[in-house]
Amino acid sequence: MKTGKKIGVGLILAAFAMSAIGCSNNGGNTASPGTDATNTPAGSKTEKVKIVYSMWGSAEEGSTTQAVADKFNASQDRIEVEVQAIPWENYMTKLNTLATAGQLPDTGMLQEGGVIQWSGEGMLNDVSAMYEGSDSKPLDSLAYKHEGNTVAYAAANEILLLYYNKEMFDKANVPYPPAALDQAWTWDAFVETAKKLTLDKNGKHSGEEGFDSQSIVQYGTSVENLSWQLETWALSNGGGFYSEDGTEVRIGEEASVEAIQKVADLYLKDHVAPLSVGQTDDGIQRTIIAGTVAMATNGQWNIGTSLNTAKEEGLSYGVAVLPYMKDKVTLNTGGANVVFSQTKHPEEAMEWLKWYNSEENNWALISSGIWMPTLDKWYKDETFTRKWVENPNFPPYEEYKSAVVDYAQSDAARPAAWFYTNYTTDFNTLLGSVLGDVWTGKTTAKEAITKNLDALKAAHAGSK
Amino acid sequence: METVNKLPKRRSRFYSSEARVAYICLIPAFLGLIFLTYLPLLGVLGISLTNWTGLKPPEFIGFENYIKLFTSDPYIKDSIITTIYFAVLSVIGSMIYSLFIAMMLNRKIPARSFFRAVFYIPYVLPAVAIYVGWSWLYEGNFGFFNYLLSEIGLNKIHFIADSSYVVPSLSLISVWLSGNLIVIFLAGLQNVPSVYHEAAEMDGANGWQRFRHITLPCMTPIIFYNLLMSLIANLQVVTPALALTNGGPGNSTRFLTYLMYDQAFVNYKIGYACATTLIIFAILSVFTIILFKTSNRWIYNEGGDDK
Amino acid sequence: MSEIAYGRLGSKKRRTRMMNIITVVAVVFFAILAIFPIWWIFRTSLMTNAEIYRYPPALTPDKWLFSNYEKTLEIFKFWKYLWNTMVIIVPSCLAGTFTATLCGYAFARLRFRGKNLIWALCIGSMLLPAMVTLIPLYIGWTRGLGVSDSYWPLILPYFCGGGAFNIFLIRQFIMSIPRELDQAATIDGAGYFRILFSIIMPAIRPAMIVVALFIFIGLWNDLLQQMIYINSSDKYTIALGLTNFRGQLKSDWSMTMAATCLSFAPGVIFYLIGQRYFVEGITLTGLKN
Repeated sequence: MKTGKKIGVGLILAAFAMSAIGCSNNGGNTASPGTDATNTPAGSKTEKVKIVYSMWGSAEEGSTTQAVADKFNASQDRIEVEVQAIPWENYMTKLNTLATAGQLPDTGMLQEGGVIQWSGEGMLNDVSAMYEGSDSKPLDSLAYKHEGNTVAYAAANEILLLYYNKEMFDKANVPYPPAALDQAWTWDAFVETAKKLTLDKNGKHSGEEGFDSQSIVQYGTSVENLSWQLETWALSNGGGFYSEDGTEVRIGEEASVEAIQKVADLYLKDHVAPLSVGQTDDGIQRTIIAGTVAMATNGQWNIGTSLNTAKEEGLSYGVAVLPYMKDKVTLNTGGANVVFSQTKHPEEAMEWLKWYNSEENNWALISSGIWMPTLDKWYKDETFTRKWVENPNFPPYEEYKSAVVDYAQSDAARPAAWFYTNYTTDFNTLLGSVLGDVWTGKTTAKEAITKNLDALKAAHAGSK
Repeated sequence: METVNKLPKRRSRFYSSEARVAYICLIPAFLGLIFLTYLPLLGVLGISLTNWTGLKPPEFIGFENYIKLFTSDPYIKDSIITTIYFAVLSVIGSMIYSLFIAMMLNRKIPARSFFRAVFYIPYVLPAVAIYVGWSWLYEGNFGFFNYLLSEIGLNKIHFIADSSYVVPSLSLISVWLSGNLIVIFLAGLQNVPSVYHEAAEMDGANGWQRFRHITLPCMTPIIFYNLLMSLIANLQVVTPALALTNGGPGNSTRFLTYLMYDQAFVNYKIGYACATTLIIFAILSVFTIILFKTSNRWIYNEGGDDK
Repeated sequence: MSEIAYGRLGSKKRRTRMMNIITVVAVVFFAILAIFPIWWIFRTSLMTNAEIYRYPPALTPDKWLFSNYEKTLEIFKFWKYLWNTMVIIVPSCLAGTFTATLCGYAFARLRFRGKNLIWALCIGSMLLPAMVTLIPLYIGWTRGLGVSDSYWPLILPYFCGGGAFNIFLIRQFIMSIPRELDQAATIDGAGYFRILFSIIMPAIRPAMIVVALFIFIGLWNDLLQQMIYINSSDKYTIALGLTNFRGQLKSDWSMTMAATCLSFAPGVIFYLIGQRYFVEGITLTGLKN
């Protein structure tokens, strides 16, 4: 009996003791070890304004950025920046909960789809004034606009392009896809090439006599069909998701529907692409790096996030411009840097952002190929371009310059919808779900979209 | 039982001290129920009547969220159907699988504890990783299962990418993950007094008869528990959608809890999400009430509870 | 007469042996199926990224790159995350199991006014997904109590009965114990707590271990709550560390899977320790009289 009681009491005591240990060091809110040291050099006569900057990334990436911020902190004596790193997967959820709790940072990054929405909720400050009087401004396509005001600038520039596996092309004796925009392939030429590169286990090509679509061992292409990337093809076919001012939904138009069907047909009819249902974000890993697909469309950030490592492991890949249906189109995008309206120090936050957004301070991300610069001088002035691209992380200078740098500032580059219209997250989620059975051929794009057009319009209007 | 006859005499004296002990025992649970369950539930109810986004202060909008949900929401109907479909498949599959495995593991077989660990371990792995691991096996073009299929000359199946296969495929994972049920069944089987079996064996009862008339009746409280737990857990399914399918293809895996998550944490419609939540609550309640109502007919209580 | 009896006995023995062989074969078969996906994760953790996507897929890695684990440990602060996780889990497990046992006992054996009502409330709480109460609870903790970046919101709920499921499990187990046991003790003059501690608790030890295990696993996998309550990276748990790690590497699957394999080690160890208790069983033989 007594022992029983003792055990019970002991358990409770132990439990309390453990939790006391666990929680004893919870006093400070988000004190970061790096911040104290930087106070000294400036000589803290006047109290510095403390700014919290949130970013997505690991703790290590956080401390890298903190090191950059420390340089900023040491360079002047008014502002003290502290970096808070949050994992990418949870970033928006976390910010949303922080907003609910009234604990938002002063400034930070925001994922693309959230910018206009947060602005609509009155959570963001206007940053139009940020580059007043500066000699180099961000590319025009990189400003997030809500009701005519610039509410954020993209932290980086990103575009979509075509990757290809050079060895597969060499083996099939097929010329590489063009890196120059004026030589871009038409969609049909693209499909024809893809057929030549698709092999079943007997070595037959798609379209050849006796080709077995059930035992394909190498696919010609894979066109990423995440909802937001599909907009490229709708635009390219003369349609689009929205009207240019973002007020109307155009996805029901013949041209938009046809474009989506063409993408689906790569798997269904042409048998040149693996089935992909637009669910995961590892397109390049599944295709080019896996060595199962000869060409794949995706963002240029893949060079830094995965292709560099694959190159070290022996992959030989190239970059090219996207094929086109009627118009040559690629999408520009880039996560935003915003100033939250809950902040008490918008001026200081903007000063920090402007300093931080200059490429010299993001060099690690840019030189690895994950980000592209936002300021126009890097695209227009060749000495800057060379400084950026002539680097073992990138494909050969001429190829990358033509297929990425020039492509990004050409007429073909259009801003992704989330730069100018609201509720893109809702819209894209719904579109993805509507198209689920289109990729597998259970229904056609026309049927699926017509049936759900009202719901899509409602999603775009924000009244799902 | 004799106790029942004895009770009335002692009632006044014992009842009060018995009750006092009971209340002491229940203090923690009582606090938990109030502060962690029912007050928050009231909160959910309140928020569901607003258009709160989590960002701006909420405005009261009456039942508008519910009206929207039932009249114009593009997902809710598919979502309810798919959730129930998944839950039914998974519950049936995992109950049969886990009872079967537990019975086998309860026999005297070599390396018993090794095998127990094998069947249980899936349950202790991080859920997200499990789904990623399975997604490779299921992968439509190059996955292992499809490799096997094409080796034996069958057409490939898009387990995850095809809306007619995805729910059964995910259910299979959920059956595989039912190690917790196996453990409870095993613990329950250990509690079936072996004297009963010995006595029955003396009487010449065969294996099936012993299972039917001894094991099953003794196990009914445990079976009920497992059934209830797996039903509730599977109706609340969300991880596969979060980790693997994002609700697709189509709406085929847009489970209710995932829908709610999406509304609250992706689209910031917290008021709307709270309304969805109460729908989930209602559906769960219906299933649970049915289960409880029918339970008296088949549960055998050795302890003879006075309920 | 005796011959017939002997023959019957012999065939019975033979039949039992047959049954045992069939059981073993079936167990091995299912065990292979059950272990296969785990093997798949493990072999992936030892491959290069190109190898992972190769077709036809390989059952074993080419080179057994255990160096993936070394590389992983450089980035993935396993020990720190493990410590943080334990700081949450150990008190929660102990307190949750203990309070669940108290409540389960009250519901299974004791009579008191309001029992049905409290029991119904308890069952009702099982119907609420944790996600349902997440939003109001979060607001309560952060705005109401001003708690932020702390483990308390994760630990404290387990001091309140350890969850209705666990209370229910304990109750079911107590109900399956013959009442004669505590009646005998009552006649000996034992009080209710004494019965609980000296008779009930030893008898339901397997169930208690199971409850502790469930709490352990529940917390281990409860990414969402850990994510919203914990802000700073030096308080990260294994689950948070793992998502963070995944985000960081994007799709470096071999390292991600190496981290995954590392992170399920503690769960497996906990199970192996626990299984000794909950499967060795408790003999109720002879109690019937």
